[in-house]
Amino acid sequence: MEDKFKKFNETKQKSEKSIILGGILLVVGVILALLLGSNMEALLVVGIIVVLAGFVFLAIGATKFFKLKKTFKTDVLTERFKELIPGITYSPNRGLTEGDVYSTDFLKRADRFHSEDFLSGELDGVTFASSDVKLEERHVQHTKNGTRVYYVAYFVGRVFRFDFNKEFVGSLQVLEAGSPKSRGYNKVKLESIDFNKKFKTYATEDITAFYILTPDIMEAIFKLEKKHPGRIGLSFRGDHLYVAINNNKDTFELQLFRKIDDNMIKEFEQDLLVIKDFIMTLKLNNNLFKK
Amino acid sequence: MFLALGTGAIVGIIIGALLLIIVIWYIGVMNSLRQLELKVQEAESGIDVALTKRFDMLSKMLQTTKGYAKHEVETLEKVVKWRSGVPKDATLKDKEEFFNQMNQVASGINVVVEKYPDLKANTVFLELQSAVANTEEHLQAARRLYNANVTRINSVIVTFPQSIVANAIKMVKKPYFEAEEAKREDVKFEF
Repeated sequence: MEDKFKKFNETKQKSEKSIILGGILLVVGVILALLLGSNMEALLVVGIIVVLAGFVFLAIGATKFFKLKKTFKTDVLTERFKELIPGITYSPNRGLTEGDVYSTDFLKRADRFHSEDFLSGELDGVTFASSDVKLEERHVQHTKNGTRVYYVAYFVGRVFRFDFNKEFVGSLQVLEAGSPKSRGYNKVKLESIDFNKKFKTYATEDITAFYILTPDIMEAIFKLEKKHPGRIGLSFRGDHLYVAINNNKDTFELQLFRKIDDNMIKEFEQDLLVIKDFIMTLKLNNNLFKK
Repeated sequence: MFLALGTGAIVGIIIGALLLIIVIWYIGVMNSLRQLELKVQEAESGIDVALTKRFDMLSKMLQTTKGYAKHEVETLEKVVKWRSGVPKDATLKDKEEFFNQMNQVASGINVVVEKYPDLKANTVFLELQSAVANTEEHLQAARRLYNANVTRINSVIVTFPQSIVANAIKMVKKPYFEAEEAKREDVKFEF
């Protein structure tokens, strides 16, 4: 593994050098063209050439780094994930479908949808799937110079889907922010004042909220919320539990100017084991209520 | 327009408007109390259903342990009058008693299971044990929903000025469905 890391780090350093060089050339080129080029035409031309060279180096560096990220995921992470959760499927280039994501019933339909880093498998008898998800809303701005279209991300994080072990009537949502997208939900107040302060609970049937959210499970949701920063939402629908964490984080990604080492791998492993954490803390592996 | 009216007329209009506001508020509070009361009644009938279901499940479970759990069979037979469901005239106290008796039976069965390990190997018994645990979860949910609704209506009944409306329509504080904590813990099945 050390040899692999060394090789990856070498390639990474090369792409980083290219990006740094590109950046320096860009800055120098702009200075030459704008500050000195106004007096001397020759310097203006040199400035433009330097800027172009800067772009070329930046593009080369970025492309190399992008390729490296992909190779790292397929060569290193897939293998490591399989060791941690046997039978797991890891597909870095695809993610949960729009259908899966909107099945949460609390995430707004996006104008631009992107998902990646798909994970699926079975852990302690519980089938799961998860992926990184980015949802963006289209904005149009009318100015004197024309119309500007831009996209604003309102969800960047992870969405999980688990098999749920209790049979229940209707649907239930426990949300830190937002509200259900479908009609027919009532706001439910549970006995815990702290829980009601932190989360809004919506259910199509009041009894379902009390059946699923036992005191143990409410405590578990509290623990999970503390452990995983970001806005968390849970949706119990049909045979599934959907969890979405809006934490503005892109998981399993290499970072520029950060060495690939055991610490980084451990962080990726922790991100993977969030799945296990949810299954164990919410006792989804308890078969007592399954028919 | 007001200038054309005399002082007496203006005072009359103000009093009339105030009275109208009070009447609307009174009707609003009365309706919300009635709705809350309905929710409490619905939740109580949810307890009835869960109690009956739990009784049925425990009866079935006892049939598989007949030879082992004689005492529990006798206890359950004492409350056999509930077999066809919770009687309409049953008070909340009766239901609490019924609930606690069933918990005694369930914990008794647990003790029996510990004494006779071959029962643990009986798949029918295990399935029933799982079903009983599920009915217990449903019963707890029904109990918690009922108590949550009672808390809501009681807080309205005791809060001024809504308490005036509650007194006027003779609505009194609703009792909670209490469960004996120690006995409830006994019912937890360990696998």
